[in-house]
Amino acid sequence: MNIERFSHLSGNDTLPKLVRHNAQAHGSDIAQREKELGLWKSYTWVDVNESVKLWALGFEILGVEAGDTVAIIGDARPHWIAAAIGAQAVRAASLGLYQDALDAEINFLVSFAEAKVVVAENEEQVDKILRVTAGVSSVKAIIFNDARGMRKYTDPRLIHREVLFERAHQRALNTPGAWDILVDATKGSDVAVLCSTSGTTSNPKLVSIAGGPFIQHVANYCALLDLGPDDEYVSLLPMGWIGEQFMALFQPVVCRHKLNFVEDPTTIMADLREIAPTFMFLAPRVWEQIAANVRAQMMDATKFKQRLFDAAFKLGLRAVDRGRTSAIAQKLVLRALRDRLGFSRLRMASTGGAALGPDTFKFFMAMGVPMMQLYGQTELGGIYCTQRIGDRDFDGVGRGLTDAYKIRIENPDPSGVGEIISQHPYMFKGYFKADAVVSPDLRDGWMHTGDAGYFKPSGQLVVIDRMKDLASTTAGERFSPQYIENKLKFSPYISEAVILGDQRAYPAAIVCIRFSIVSKWAEQQRMAFTTYSDLSNRKEIYNLISGEIARVNQSLPPAQQLRKFVLLYKELDADDGELTRTRKVRRGVIAEKYATIIDAIYSGANEVKVDTEIAFQDGSKQRIRTTMPVASLAAAQAQAKSA
Amino acid sequence: MAADVARTPILELEAVSLRFGGVKAMTDVSCKVYPGELYSIIGPNGAGKTSTLNCISGRYRPTSGRILHKGRDITKLGTSKRADLGIGRTFQNLALYSGMTVLDNILIGRHHLMKVGFARGMVYWFGGAQREETVHRAAVEEIIDFLEIKDIRNEHAGTLSYGLRKRVELARAIALKPELILLDEPMAGMNLEEKEDMARYIVDLNEELGMTVVMIEHDMGVVMDLSHRLMVLDFGRKIAEGLPDDIRANEDVKRAYLGQDHGLADTAVAEAAQ
Repeated sequence: MNIERFSHLSGNDTLPKLVRHNAQAHGSDIAQREKELGLWKSYTWVDVNESVKLWALGFEILGVEAGDTVAIIGDARPHWIAAAIGAQAVRAASLGLYQDALDAEINFLVSFAEAKVVVAENEEQVDKILRVTAGVSSVKAIIFNDARGMRKYTDPRLIHREVLFERAHQRALNTPGAWDILVDATKGSDVAVLCSTSGTTSNPKLVSIAGGPFIQHVANYCALLDLGPDDEYVSLLPMGWIGEQFMALFQPVVCRHKLNFVEDPTTIMADLREIAPTFMFLAPRVWEQIAANVRAQMMDATKFKQRLFDAAFKLGLRAVDRGRTSAIAQKLVLRALRDRLGFSRLRMASTGGAALGPDTFKFFMAMGVPMMQLYGQTELGGIYCTQRIGDRDFDGVGRGLTDAYKIRIENPDPSGVGEIISQHPYMFKGYFKADAVVSPDLRDGWMHTGDAGYFKPSGQLVVIDRMKDLASTTAGERFSPQYIENKLKFSPYISEAVILGDQRAYPAAIVCIRFSIVSKWAEQQRMAFTTYSDLSNRKEIYNLISGEIARVNQSLPPAQQLRKFVLLYKELDADDGELTRTRKVRRGVIAEKYATIIDAIYSGANEVKVDTEIAFQDGSKQRIRTTMPVASLAAAQAQAKSA
Repeated sequence: MAADVARTPILELEAVSLRFGGVKAMTDVSCKVYPGELYSIIGPNGAGKTSTLNCISGRYRPTSGRILHKGRDITKLGTSKRADLGIGRTFQNLALYSGMTVLDNILIGRHHLMKVGFARGMVYWFGGAQREETVHRAAVEEIIDFLEIKDIRNEHAGTLSYGLRKRVELARAIALKPELILLDEPMAGMNLEEKEDMARYIVDLNEELGMTVVMIEHDMGVVMDLSHRLMVLDFGRKIAEGLPDDIRANEDVKRAYLGQDHGLADTAVAEAAQ
């Protein structure tokens, strides 16, 4: 490992110090790129250092001190990064907020963290922040970046970034060396980042992460995967998530790979192609979405192209099963497809945060995209366990970054399955507002992850599901709902699925259709329909999904096969508390909210009457009255009977 | 808008009449639009709204009466000359080049601001044509950003949905850099979400970019919410003019709309009931 490349880290134990170092040693190298007004703009390390400096001095002017919190909300942008590092330069912690979070969630985080300053991108975010911080006395200033539509606000706490930068600039002129004094005072033991846990069960907790250990932790990852200045990364994930804090905030500063920002969430695919990153990290749902898009677009192609595509993928998948790649398939179709998606230079394509279905994994492997799974928790620095380049193992998540990362299976059952517990020297400092590390999950220095898993003979860790989500039927058959859900979600027609069946006679599913693709399919079938609810209620769609589920059933042992399903009248939504912000299913909420539907499925009813209200993001409500059929899968039943 | 009365109107119609043979499309229509106003023209079908807009933009020449722009008589001026004065418009029925990209469609809107002619365009790199194109492209990108159509800038206009094409048309009109922009039913045929977006763009156009807006629109909710002042036409005659609240309460207006399935009568009745 070329750890010597990271020798500059000694003495530079905070991000501000590292940024200053990069500006001095590699000043003219490109650090970031941003697409603005249709053009890619580049920023060197000198530019980044200057921006961080102005943010830091600005925060100092606003009275931000050591131990304070600066909350940041908005799209990933160079200013997001600079503001976070600027906050760390005045020894405050940065807290990333999910921009699509509900008012109550933001209010909870901002007031709990006692944020002194909030940095908001534009009017939309300012509007939200003003609404939720009305009663939060800790917030002394709200900085906005984009002045469009801001004239109507009179709140005295509002300040335009350019105005703040002007004042910071004056300060820098008046007190030369102010920046160096600030940077020299930062300590590796300072809390650099507050990061919210995803909170599948309750209100999120805030994890305090110290800069020094985290930088070492990130350096271990970069050294392992040989990430360096020649690598290109595109920031696509929410900055509030630990994974993106790792990849977009720390990693570029530590190993100096280039960090690119897309123009707009709607232009991601076009921008990806222009950058052609060498390294990507996306959440499973994004990979699933890309795979679904590819297949949806193929539905519009000519019959000839469809045949060619199918044939190439068949060859590709067969080659993946043998641990190879198919040269013919690559030449004919897959290389062009990879280029179209912006994957042509990709060395590593990581996925993590939740499990990626093996079918989706193989889909990309067949395409020639080097997929790698990784694993981690917010408390454990996000990523500490990853596959290596060339592992090609679609159910493992790899091994610890180095020998210092210890992973064990607690109380394994005879087949080796038990709770995953981990420990390493770069773990979190504690939970915010809790002096010591007080957590029922942390015992004798080992973090109990709550995930069930086992080790393969090859040493790869395999994560099955959350411990408490592992289900067993009344007949005693144990199964992992998540495993079946991921299999279902590989179907382009299914966007979300929740598997039921714990302490029931057999597994069943609540399925949400993928509207964009199912509606296209319906158009091709010349079906008339109006809304999502209407479409999901159609007999034709039930038949379509039935076929998809029957296919998944074939790959499951008989006792785990789904016997019934309903198509839900709405999509699962984080705003309704049904999913976390990183789109993991909250089973408790679903079991409670859809209890009548679940009961109906297991009571043998043929249909469920629904009369409910859906709230939309703009605050309007719609009443939904419908009858959802409960579909049975004949084949599965017949098999079960014969068994 | 009382303070505006003292200022010179940016646009003034003086007893404008328009006749097509025996059909009187407009009869003695007079009105004044002040700088910075968001002014709407409403009325039942066939009331002469689009005719009014066509007279302002120069597509029709009034049979009698005068049209003044900042006090200057422009009645006899051609459409391109009026564009040079800073009067831009969109059409009720889309008029985009469907075989061209969105970007090129919007760039067309900059045409009257371009100075490089055919000869200098032939020596693109030396005659300043390239430099000029860069400047105009930058202006177009600002508009693309403003109207949030970044994801479709390289799409062919013909492949877009109706709502998006309307937005592109607005973009092209903005590219003209008009002081006065005429919008002919900017929201016709749009769904609720598209209407909400468009309403926001129109307000931003007026408040952020400082354009004076004259708009024809059928959606009464939108008109009443957005407009500073309105004029109501019926059978080519002006029957009312004033603030949204006055128009709502106006008896003539109610009568003009009566018997028609229209929002105005409904809102008026609903408000009376309250």
